[in-house]
Amino acid sequence: MSVLEAHSHISSSPIFVSSQIPDIPEMGGFVVFSGIVRNLNEGKKVTHLEYEAYAPMANEMIRAILEDACKKWDLLHANCIHRVGKLGISEIAVIVETGSIHRAEAYESNRYIIDRVKHEVPIWKKEFYLDGSSEWSKGCAHESH
Amino acid sequence: MDIQLLFFAAVKDHFPDLKKIEVSEGDSIVHLREILTRTNPGSESILKVSRFAVNQSIVSDDFVLREGSVVAVLPPSSGG
Repeated sequence: MSVLEAHSHISSSPIFVSSQIPDIPEMGGFVVFSGIVRNLNEGKKVTHLEYEAYAPMANEMIRAILEDACKKWDLLHANCIHRVGKLGISEIAVIVETGSIHRAEAYESNRYIIDRVKHEVPIWKKEFYLDGSSEWSKGCAHESH
Repeated sequence: MDIQLLFFAAVKDHFPDLKKIEVSEGDSIVHLREILTRTNPGSESILKVSRFAVNQSIVSDDFVLREGSVVAVLPPSSGG
């Protein structure tokens, strides 16, 4: 699909929010969601995270989710990049960008993309705590199980 | 016949080194789940909630394995 970015959706390099928006004259609404590593989860102080992915499958699944979003809404831009490896507090773990003629499609499709990425894509988070312990996140069990 | 296995995240705690196993002709994902549980009973609870992918596509329990299938055991994901 022409509005989808060609590059990888899985990155081991830091992700940054760009101050530049895609140069698309028809675009009237542009939404950016950033998932950020926070220092607290379920009452435990988190020092850092590690994300692991089944990279080729995760990349293809994110591409397919973006394609589905483009079928459901009239989007002019759609992209999602998920980080893997070790991430410190306040680093960006995932970014979703959507752009459309009006804001409604950009907001709705953005939420749709991040929700599906969180629930379906084979990416896992390991939390490391201030007390030296660590734990894989229990994650979202798939509906079929 | 041999199949290749890929383990991720919490499942790796139970199968750190197992990369290739032998299954019988006609064995499906259900049989593989049983074989893995027998190999390491402590893995039963995580295997129950894990999805299986063959050659990078999610498959159901009745999917029949073939020689050389690359099977990924995917515990519940938690990206984002």
